[in-house]
Formats: sequence, C-alpha cells, structure tokens
Amino acid sequence: MMSNEYIPFLSEIKEVIPHTSIEYTFRMTYEGDVKPGQFFEVSLPKYGEAPISVSGIGDGTVDLTIRKVGKVTNEIFEQYIGARLFLRGPYGNGFDVADYRGKELVVMAGGTGLSPVRGVVDYFATHGEECKGLTLIAGFKSPEDILFKEDLKRWSKTSNVILTVDAAEPDELAAINEEMSPVTVHTGLVTEFISKLTIGSMESAAAVVVGPPAMMRFSIAGLQKIGFPDENLWISQERKMCCGIGKCGHCKIGDVYVCLDGPVFNYTKGRSLLD
Amino acid sequence: MDINTKKIKKNAFRVTKVRGMTASRVRVPGGHLKAEYMGVIQSIAEEFGNGTVHITSRQGFEIPGIPYEKMPEVNQRLQPVIEGLEINQEKEGCGYPASGTRNVTACIGNRVCPYACYDTTAFAKRIEKAIFPNDLHFKIALTGCPNDCAKVRMHDFGIIGMTEPQFEPERCVTCGACEKYCLKKSVKAIEMVNFRPQRNTEKCIGCGECVLNCPNRAWTRSREKYYRLTLLGRTGKRNPRLGIDFIKWVDEESIIKIILNTYRYVKEYIDPTAPGGKEHVGYIVDRTGTEEFLKWAMEGVTLPEKAEVSSPLYWNGPKYD
Amino acid sequence: MEVTIKQEQLAFLFEAWKDDYVIYGPKRFADDGCFSDTDTIRYGEISGPEEIVFDEKSQYSFKEALLPAYQTLFYFTEDAVKEADGPEKEAIVFLRSCDLHSVKRLDEIYLSNGPEDFYYKRLREKIHFVWMSCPEVFENCFCQTMGTDQPEDYDMGVKWEGGMVKIDCRKKEWVSLLEPFMKDKDAVEAKAPLRNTFEEGAGKDVRIPESLSIDVAKSDIWRDYDGRCIACGRCNFVCPTCTCFTMQDLFYSENGRAGERRRVWASCMVDGYTDVAGGGSYRQKNGERMRFKVLHKILDYKQRNGYHMCVGCGRCDDVCPEYISFSDCINKLEDAMKEVSADDE
Repeated sequence: MMSNEYIPFLSEIKEVIPHTSIEYTFRMTYEGDVKPGQFFEVSLPKYGEAPISVSGIGDGTVDLTIRKVGKVTNEIFEQYIGARLFLRGPYGNGFDVADYRGKELVVMAGGTGLSPVRGVVDYFATHGEECKGLTLIAGFKSPEDILFKEDLKRWSKTSNVILTVDAAEPDELAAINEEMSPVTVHTGLVTEFISKLTIGSMESAAAVVVGPPAMMRFSIAGLQKIGFPDENLWISQERKMCCGIGKCGHCKIGDVYVCLDGPVFNYTKGRSLLD
Repeated sequence: MDINTKKIKKNAFRVTKVRGMTASRVRVPGGHLKAEYMGVIQSIAEEFGNGTVHITSRQGFEIPGIPYEKMPEVNQRLQPVIEGLEINQEKEGCGYPASGTRNVTACIGNRVCPYACYDTTAFAKRIEKAIFPNDLHFKIALTGCPNDCAKVRMHDFGIIGMTEPQFEPERCVTCGACEKYCLKKSVKAIEMVNFRPQRNTEKCIGCGECVLNCPNRAWTRSREKYYRLTLLGRTGKRNPRLGIDFIKWVDEESIIKIILNTYRYVKEYIDPTAPGGKEHVGYIVDRTGTEEFLKWAMEGVTLPEKAEVSSPLYWNGPKYD
Repeated sequence: MEVTIKQEQLAFLFEAWKDDYVIYGPKRFADDGCFSDTDTIRYGEISGPEEIVFDEKSQYSFKEALLPAYQTLFYFTEDAVKEADGPEKEAIVFLRSCDLHSVKRLDEIYLSNGPEDFYYKRLREKIHFVWMSCPEVFENCFCQTMGTDQPEDYDMGVKWEGGMVKIDCRKKEWVSLLEPFMKDKDAVEAKAPLRNTFEEGAGKDVRIPESLSIDVAKSDIWRDYDGRCIACGRCNFVCPTCTCFTMQDLFYSENGRAGERRRVWASCMVDGYTDVAGGGSYRQKNGERMRFKVLHKILDYKQRNGYHMCVGCGRCDDVCPEYISFSDCINKLEDAMKEVSADDE
C-alpha cells in the first residue's frame, strides 16, 4: 500500500488560549516528532486547508497559533475544546536548536512571526546555560496585538526581552506596561532596537528574524550593519503552502521550495531568494 | 438627352446633381469581396468616371461622374464583378436590377474578427439569395456578436450572433477569467460558486467572452449557432428608432422564414400610394398593429426550443410628424 | 522488435489494446477553439489510429493523462475521509519526443521532490508511452536546443515513413501483437530506438546564456511584460512540464459537511497564485511573473535537478493571445545579463 500524504488525520483540540481577538493558540493532540518552526496543514473539510506553524510542543500535543484571516481560520475559530480538526504534517525543516547552541542569540519577531520561533526562544530561555545569552526583540502593531504575553513575562526573567509596539496612545501604553510588568513595552519599530544590542563577538552570535517581508528586510539590513555575517543570520519564510510536500509549486522561490527546504533558511541561502 | 430615370435607377445607376452625369452603384452582399474586383471598379472610375470612388454606407461602391451614354459599357465592364459577387442578374452584360431591398450588410464576422460568433458574410449571402431581387424597401444587417459593430439595430431586421457557452467542469481550473471578463466586458452573467462558474442563463447574451478568455477549453462554443433577431429599427424623417429584441437564441432557418413572411405581409398592407412604392416596414406595422404583423411573420415558423420571444413589442424614438 | 506496416494496419493494435487500456492521443476537437469555427487539437481518448492528428502540433500537451486538470483526492464527511478511487484500466498515451522528455520532469517533481505523490504515482504506474514521430519541426519548436528532439525510453515507437509506419516495440507484452506482421523480411530485431528525421539545426534558434543567473531579475527586460502579458495562464496550462496545482474543498450542499477535496491546475501567471492568508501576495506585476516562470524553466529547475525543465515544445508561444514568445524572451537574456553586470560595475 502506497502512503498517501494528502490524507489528513484527526486531532482533538485540548485547549484554546486566546491572545488577541483574532489570534488564538489551539493546543492539539499529536504524537510524533516535530520541531519548532515546522508547520501542519490544518483543515476543516468544506473550508479547506491552511498551513499553520508550530508554536509550541508539549507532551502529546502541539500548539498551533492561528490568526483569523480567512475562510479556513475563521471556521477554526468557531471550534471549541473537544472538537477535532484534520491535520497533515509536520512539514518543513523547522528550527534546529543545535544551530544556536553556545551562541549569543538574538531573535527578532514581528507580529505572528513570534509563533514559529516561540519554541526556540522558550528553549533557550529555559536552558540559559546552553547559549551565551538570549535577546528577544518582539514587535507588534499595537498593544492589542501582543501575543504570548505570559511567555514574554516568563522569558524576561532569564533573558533580555525587548517588547515594542509600532504606536500607542499614552493611556494605552501605560495600561499595557502595567499589564506586562516587569516587561517594559516600548514604542517604535523592532529595527530601532538593533543598534542598542551589545554583541560580544559577531562570529559567535546568531540572529533569527521572522515576520512580515518588510520587517524582515529592514531587520536583516540592520543586523548586517552592526556586523552580523550572513552565515549567522536565519530567517523563516511565510509563503502559500498548499501541499506542504514540494508538489504544488506555490511556495517555490528560486531553486528552493519553502515547504521542503524551509521555511527556515540560513541567510547565505535566504539572501538569494527572490520572489 | 432622353433618359428614363426610373429605368436606370432599377439598373443600379443614380440620377446625380450633375446634369448628364450618373453614378454606377455596386453593392457587395455581406461586405466582403475579392480584391481583384477593386481593380475593375478602379478601371471603371478612371476610364468612365471622374477617377473617384465612394464607399457607401451600405457596403457598396458608388462610381460617380459617368456620362449617361457610357452606361452600357460600364455594365459590360461590371460583368465579372456581378458574377463574382453572385448578384442576381437578368441578362448578362446588362448590369443588375437594383431594388428597393437594400444591400444586406455585415460586419467582418468570424473570417477575421475573434469576437464574431459566425460567418456574417456567408449568412448575409444566404439571406440575399432568399430575398433578392425585391422592390420592397427592406434593410437587413448582420453583426457577429453583441458588440453590434454593424449597427444592426438601425435596420428592419438586425441579426446578432450568439453562442451558447458549453461548460466542461473537468477542464475548469478556477482561474476566474470567465467571471472577470463577463463582469468587465459583458453582462455579469457569471458568478463563481463552489469554485466553479455558474452562468445565469437568463442574463447571458451569448457574446462568448467566457469562451474567448477561458485558458483551458473549459468553456467552449455550442456547435449550434444562435442569433438574436432585432426588429424594425429605422432611420429617417418621421420617427427614427432602434430595433428592439424580438427573438433570442433563434436559428438561421427561422430568421429567413420570418423575413420572407414579412415580405408577404408588406405586400398585403403597404400603402398603395407610397411614393416610389416604398414604405418602411415599421410604419406599416404602426398602422396594422403588432399582432397582425406577428400573425404573418410567424406563420409556419417552428422556433428552436431555446428560443425566447419577447413580448409585448414596444418601440421608442422621437416623433417629428 | 521492429516491423513496418501500412498506416491503416495500426487499427489492429487498437483492436488488441481496447479491452485492457484506455488510449489517449492528440485528436481534433471540432469547433472547440475559442474563436468560432475553429478546432483545437488536444488530448482525448481515441479508439483508432485515424483519430490521431499526426501532422499538426497539439495545442495542449499530453500531461492531462498523468495530471488531470481536475482531480478528486478524497471525499469527506464531518470526521471521516475516503480516498478517491484510482483508474481501473491501464493507459496508453501517444506522444511526441518533447512530451516524452517532459515525463522525466513530471516524475522529478511528483516522485522525487519531497515525498512521492500518491495520486500521480498510481496513474504513472499504469501508463505506457507510445512515441510518435514528428513529420517536421513545427513552428516555434526548439527541441534541438533543449536536447529533447529524439525519444528515449518508450514502450513503443511509431514512425511515419513514406506512407508506411515503422513500429519499434520495446514492451515485451506487446511483441506478440505484432506477430501477424512479422514476415521474415519485415521484422528485424531493433537495435537503436527510432529517431525523428530532422535537419541539424532545424527549429528555432534559442540560446540560454552560459552566464545566466538570478541577477538577470534586475534587468529591465521584464518590465516590457508588465503591460503586454494579461496573466491568463495559457502558457502554463499548455506546458507539458508545468506541474502546479491548488487544493479546493468542494461541498455538496450548503448545510452538510459532505464534499470532496480536489486539486486543480494552478498557474504562476494568474492572480492569486502567491496569495497568503491575510491578504499578502508576491509578484504582483506580470513582468515579475514572467521572470519567475522563465527562470524556473531554464535556470532554477536546473540548479535543483541538473537539467532544464523546458523541453522546447513551443506551445506557450503558439497559444499566447498577446504574442509573447517565451523563446524570444530566452534569446533576450544574453543582453539582459550584460545589462545587469554593467549596472553592477
């Protein structure tokens, strides 16, 4: 019997963790190998499939942080604990913590870009001895868009967490600072914080950048400017991934298929990827 | 100079404003001709006329500045053109009998134009064979698609090409081109439902935009050719008006039959005192009422199943009398 | 085994095949063209040799036999899925050399690039290829440039030669079918596969520059296509090597959850191809899409797989309603590379 990658399996919603009005994490039953930054094709029959990256890995569960922005995800938001979704995957390479072990790690995340990289941040925030320091620069549009608030607070105990929003009214900013304490919520783009980084040795530093295309472009440029060599930069690409297995073609950029060869790329490869 | 103007007019010559000079009129059924006939027309214009040619509004040539006495020679010279265009003729070498029924005109049609749904010239010639020669004043025009470049709605009978789009779901890739082009260029008859285009058959005008723009032959043309027949448009002094929809999804047979029936109707009801024996069909219908016209026009006509007949028929347009 | 028979005797093979195989070939679909009173030549089921159009290029490729434009993957209800049935019969496809070479490209994507594709594989395992010779190098063909002008690995080869047909049968199971025609003088043990008889250098002269790199994306040549291309996707749909698809969930009724998941061909030229959830998309300009397509066919596929994707059939040129020539575009790349390297200096 040939295996059929397109046939999904059922997975139960164990927990729903709301972050914002349109972003929830669904904790799904899953047994098997999976890495942060990999993705599943999540579907509800009749509404279709959507690629969703793994934002957390538990014992017999995976966390899928979903933004309600389309036909499939709208419908998923109608589902409650105990309901079952169809999954295929995991697909893609995901982040390999070995790439960052023993390094000064900088993670820059924009908006939902924090989801795929959350596992990496969490790992080094709880295994501080395995790296030479962790800085997370997480940016969101407004205080209402901040994801993983409890995680951010927890990580700030062991790591340098820089949290920023593009803009906020003074009273909003005060309120969010109170809520996020001890984490300070700044205003400004993530790129504005690059120059404040203090990196001991660029050779033993690593940076991971995940977010919307413009944010990634400017962040990479900023990191290069302060001396990060391309081989120490990593990105995760978001593309339309229909099949997840290198067939449908939608996620191809140059000679790579994001679903097979990515979504995580070292920038020595990532820099040559031109849409 | 003694000229029987009635007679020469019936022989496709005109009485012009220049005394002693006539113009030879050559009609081109369906508006398409072999280029070699242009050479003949050129030689007549240069040898007998004033060296100019007018392209008429009914797709003919008018060669002005010909002295009346040259008419027999001009007729001789025209012989190959008359034969080649298959224009009705009584006696070889003597020109052809011009008639009240005007040249059947056509847009360029599907011999050239991508939009056209049929060979307009061929159908025009078929109609011509059925109705010529005839003294009654009929104007008929054919156009390949609902763009109506031939302005057929200004004719007694306007024939607009249609195709019934055929959909093959197995070839549809949901590219959305049919929906987009129908929306932007036609009548918004296509809507995507469940990843597939759904055609509103009531709205659809059979223009073929969906077929033209389908990249994968999911939409194709019907084997049968269909037409929209418009009725009794006219220009002129008293009450110009656009022809109105008469039958949608009608076939060639029925159109010819309806036209022939209308000739019989006009013969019955034409004003016997009409100048030159010419009266626009529409004015006769205004007089007899539409019901009487329809009774005659539809006699013995078996419309195809798809045909949709408009009812009631009502014309508009300014009235000056 | 190689025999030479009369063309009409090919009917004998069809007769022998008809119970066991579905036979596909390029045939004339009357009045199927987008313009009225025009035909298309494309692939469909055929029941006899007289239906095969030998003397013209088919507008669409053979690929739909392996990769249908529309394919149901499985049927679903609320919480169960049922795989769609595969074909019962094996299939035979009559195809030209370029198309035969494109099978390797389809295999590369569907059997090698990532895990095997279940639906492709089950069709692929049941398909047999009959190569048919080309009477000439057709307009816009550049198979000699792409090295696809001569067939490889066919189950049977059929070559038209002066009113006769030469058949080279490589598939053991079919050899016996040819026995009635095997008089000693006609039947020979085939040594080399049959070949197209083309003049050297026939077909369009197309040159892929040695120095071609992704840098060419910076050239201005692509801008020309922003306005010219109408993003209809015909070039992709006729291409024997275009493999992209999109998944769709079709439901049978508004209320129920019963339906099917299927895939349909997708085109990198058509709007929506790169749309990501939330409204983002890449390559909005048609010139960028042209660049993406062209470079996939003659640059990055090779970087990944070692040989070019394009097989030089020229169907994309034949079909483009805006008269955009893919091969002319390739021929502009040499100058485009000079342009971008000059800019760099």
